[in-house]
Amino acid sequence: MKTIKREKSDLKLAMVLLFPSIFLVLLLVAYPMFSNIQISFFDQPINPRLDAVFVGFENYMSILSDGEFFKSLGITFLYMILAVLGSTAMGLGVAIFFNRPFKFRKLSRSLIILSYVTPSISLVFAWKYMFNNGYGVVNFLVVDVLHLADKAPLWFDNPVSSFFLVVLFAIWRYFPYAFISFLAILQTIDSTLYEAAEIDGASAWNKFKIVTLPAIMPVLITVVTLRSIWLFYMFTDVFLLTNKVDILGIYLYKTAFAFNDLGKAASISVILFIILSLVIIATRKRVKY
Amino acid sequence: MAMASSKKNRALKKAGFYTGLIALLTVTLFPFFIMLMTSFKSTKEAVSTNPTLFPKEWTFKHFVDIFNPDIFPFISYFKNSLVVSLTASGLAVLIAIFGAYALSRLKFMGRTTINASFYTVYMFSGILLVVPLFKIISGLGLYDTKTALIITMIVQTLPTAIFMLKSYFDTIPDDLEEAAMIDGLNRIQIIFYIIIPLSLSGIISVFVYSFMVAWNDYLFASIFLSDSLNFTLPIGLNTLFSTPDYVWGRMMAASLITALPVVIMYSISDYFIKGGATEGGVKG
Repeated sequence: MKTIKREKSDLKLAMVLLFPSIFLVLLLVAYPMFSNIQISFFDQPINPRLDAVFVGFENYMSILSDGEFFKSLGITFLYMILAVLGSTAMGLGVAIFFNRPFKFRKLSRSLIILSYVTPSISLVFAWKYMFNNGYGVVNFLVVDVLHLADKAPLWFDNPVSSFFLVVLFAIWRYFPYAFISFLAILQTIDSTLYEAAEIDGASAWNKFKIVTLPAIMPVLITVVTLRSIWLFYMFTDVFLLTNKVDILGIYLYKTAFAFNDLGKAASISVILFIILSLVIIATRKRVKY
Repeated sequence: MAMASSKKNRALKKAGFYTGLIALLTVTLFPFFIMLMTSFKSTKEAVSTNPTLFPKEWTFKHFVDIFNPDIFPFISYFKNSLVVSLTASGLAVLIAIFGAYALSRLKFMGRTTINASFYTVYMFSGILLVVPLFKIISGLGLYDTKTALIITMIVQTLPTAIFMLKSYFDTIPDDLEEAAMIDGLNRIQIIFYIIIPLSLSGIISVFVYSFMVAWNDYLFASIFLSDSLNFTLPIGLNTLFSTPDYVWGRMMAASLITALPVVIMYSISDYFIKGGATEGGVKG
């Protein structure tokens, strides 16, 4: 009896305390998502004073028959896979390298994290400057010092070299996230496990496979899943770096705000939301926040 | 003999390790080094086809220039960014404290569902919501205001903030709270007198996380703001980049000063907080 009474009074207080959070999330996440579905069935004229025209599934048809959309989907998956693999592998490697006592450990750790905490805009300017094809230091190295090419590529004007750049940028920028996560879990591994494996004559690779990998598995799954989701929806980094790599986030943004086709952009959102939902349902049980 | 060789071995191993460490730091920090050095180079030297590592002649001109409103509206962008990020992260943390307390301590029906919904929203990306948010903000008459950006930034960081704080609150022993209740404190007093002081380090890292997200936002600033007086740093600087008269030294000086608040905040929180819970991740 008593617990029921307590639960009731708790509910009231809980609702009061949670009200601002729930209200904001409903108003600015749930309602907009619902509204996306609605907008996706309309053609909204550029002049907001004019009424939107109901067009049924026309927006969806136009996207699903647009080669650009599928090209963008492919580029996005490739970008996501390469950047996740690169940043996770590098983060894990650096974490293993750091998993020992040494002088300047804390300072080095803070310096490694720098690319992850610095705002994109600052990093993007540095990269644009480094890869400038007239006076950039990278071109100087490639052409004048190492003679790898007669003429440096126009890094930001060519889809292939731009793609290479955005992937490299993502790996450099996001590997510290994997690094911190892995370092934390590596420190919890009992060192006697390694000693036991050593007595059994295990090689470095076998020690990694038998001791390290199982221990870091939960973190590995979480890092890969969350980073994949965030890279799948990447916008800012790529948009600021180059206009030659139209990943889905940029395809959506351009449709909405460069071509002013809000209805079509909303239907892209809905399609992406469906993809996201499938991923969340598939991974929810396994990902520990 | 054997001992001497193992000593030598160890020294060699150590040297190898530090060489590796220096190589790693050189690669990861190189863009920062370029940024720093270019900000001290003369305009002519910055565009020389024979790039120099260190400036031949050091100049502080670019730092003086970016703080001169007649040359560069940097101070105005900086102020806007500060107002938006501080307000948004302060409010997000405050709202999240109450929400996280309810989810961590109170027993009520629907708790698991609410928890799971916040978790789902955490994975959500702002880019999915740009179209309807643009319509909602315009409809509310908030287009081209900092308020629009502040509200959006609160929502962008709130779910993560609630999650991070809930896990902090979960580690505070129940006994403390029961003792306080016997002493006659109510739940609200408990939040202010017990929970907040005991999880201060967690609260600071959540604040830093929210600040970082708001400070970095380009997407919403670019669709909500049109008057350059309202511009925050990311959108303001990017607009300047596309004008023909940008000066590299100035852009690099501005980039450095733009990075400074987050780097300082992060270092302070990292210094004080063991483990550092700022690991929530910057969403792209």
